[in-house]
Amino acid sequence: MKASKSLERGILSSYDHQKPSIRLGYYLMNLIVLVMMCVMVYPLLISLFNGLKVNKEVNSFPPTFLPRDGWHFDNYKRAWEYIDLPKYLKNTLFIFGGNMLIIVIVIGFAAFALSKMKFPFRRGIYYYFLLTLFVPATTYAIPNFVNLKELGLMGWYGAIWLPAGANAFYLLLLKTFMDGIHNETFESARIDGASEIRTFFQIAFPLSIPIFATLAIFVFATAWNDWFWPNFMLGQDYKPLSAAIKTLVLDARMLDLNMKFAILTIVMFPPIMIFLFFQKYILRGLYLGGVKG
Amino acid sequence: MEQTTAVPIQLQPRERPKRKFRRNFWGYLFVLPAIVIFALFLWYPIVKGLMDSLYKIDFVKGDSFVGFDNYRTVFNDPDVRIAVKNTLKYMGLGIVIGFWVPILFAIMISEMRKFQGFARVAAYLPYVVPFVVLYGVWRWMYDPVGPINQVIKSFGIDPVLFMVDKAWAMPAIVIMETWQSFGSAMLIYLAAVLSIPRDWYEASEIDGAGVWQRIRHITLPAIKNQILLLLMLQLIATSQGFQTQYAMLDGGPNNATLTYALLLTRYAFVRQDYGVASAMGVIMFFALVILAIIQYRLNRNGGID
Repeated sequence: MKASKSLERGILSSYDHQKPSIRLGYYLMNLIVLVMMCVMVYPLLISLFNGLKVNKEVNSFPPTFLPRDGWHFDNYKRAWEYIDLPKYLKNTLFIFGGNMLIIVIVIGFAAFALSKMKFPFRRGIYYYFLLTLFVPATTYAIPNFVNLKELGLMGWYGAIWLPAGANAFYLLLLKTFMDGIHNETFESARIDGASEIRTFFQIAFPLSIPIFATLAIFVFATAWNDWFWPNFMLGQDYKPLSAAIKTLVLDARMLDLNMKFAILTIVMFPPIMIFLFFQKYILRGLYLGGVKG
Repeated sequence: MEQTTAVPIQLQPRERPKRKFRRNFWGYLFVLPAIVIFALFLWYPIVKGLMDSLYKIDFVKGDSFVGFDNYRTVFNDPDVRIAVKNTLKYMGLGIVIGFWVPILFAIMISEMRKFQGFARVAAYLPYVVPFVVLYGVWRWMYDPVGPINQVIKSFGIDPVLFMVDKAWAMPAIVIMETWQSFGSAMLIYLAAVLSIPRDWYEASEIDGAGVWQRIRHITLPAIKNQILLLLMLQLIATSQGFQTQYAMLDGGPNNATLTYALLLTRYAFVRQDYGVASAMGVIMFFALVILAIIQYRLNRNGGID
């Protein structure tokens, strides 16, 4: 993935780059990519600036990019007071933490056993997990909702946490990764008398950190984005950020547009900043997930 | 070699019973939590959905068996016909408008000699923002007084009412979703494009292949597996899509964005008819099975050629 090799040549060689027609095409291509980059960034920046405008300016045509009638930073202060963002962010992180814990314990242990231990019916058990991949979520979403209600999990984080462990795709990713770890490592640990639990936590888990990191990105993206089911399953005080934004901001009729943009921007920029700082690691993690999957 | 493997085999019978029991015990103990969780939150709901589709679900009076009545309701409901048409339209537009975008940009960005990293990050940027936030931003982007209509007007064309016009609502949603998520698919293609051996291009260039021929006969065939995989994943995802349609337009204007899955959730949560909703879920399962069989057949036939 590093550029060192691709610098030598790509589809185009340095010989091609000397031809005028190809040079022109190359510049045109760069221009298209530049336009794409502007299109990607524009909606994000305009939200930031819309949050700084007076409400009348946001609602007038033609729209302005930078605020014309002064930069109203107090909008952001009012936006911060309008909705208790730290509370909902905390809920999101709480959901993410619980999901991750369940996945490490439930799916991690199962993947380890299926990959590194031998016991009767192992193959059958593996298919018991994998076959669920063939049933679309739409089929069981509503029965699952009714089931959670009957189990008395509704309104509590358990309604999100426990089903997070029922994910055959994650199991497949983890098992495939663990299959690539040498068996000798575990054999020697067993001969030294380490218990299976110790083998898991002291050898299998540390060696699988790269794939758990990739999983963490996926699990975080789910907790971060999911709003539809949490809105049905959790009470207002337990809702994650996305669900709260949907009910309190998007569906709000009386909220001024500039205030809406200020709130949306406050939610938007922390993840963008984190992504820009850690993009090297995040993109590498995603790449690993793509290759192993 | 044979000597060394023979030794442990001879040793095994002596230690076997105790060790084997210990191994099996721990093995089962490790998979047990997953078996329980999968049973409770996947297999039980799947079976329950099948059963519920044959019952009239009533939380107060209790369920009553109605045979295939729920399925009859689904097939006779004119809304279902609209929803199926909209879902097929959504899947089709997703391919026409969205599917080629990440492939195109992956190839273009892979050729850039400078600022490759910037382009990659910019393309992925919206993907880290919660979808819900972007729904809010794009509702304004599509507004009659929004920036997109500003551009349209500057060309002297009448403004387009994206969120009100029946013909434009679904394309508008697909365009937004393409903008929002093509970056993640592009990264997968980009990794594949960059891993193509450089000498393949070198060899074809010596043989006189032009730039387009190199893309057509080397680059695209080399990423064929990724293209097929992502096509399949996109079709599976869009066939079940409803959250964007619900959040942006609640199925409107005039049911123009009412997808099958959205109608299903409406049956469950608005009409409180869980039996019909379950029946729709079961039908969805069989529709995807048929899709999978068609795909498998096509793949096999493609392999023979």
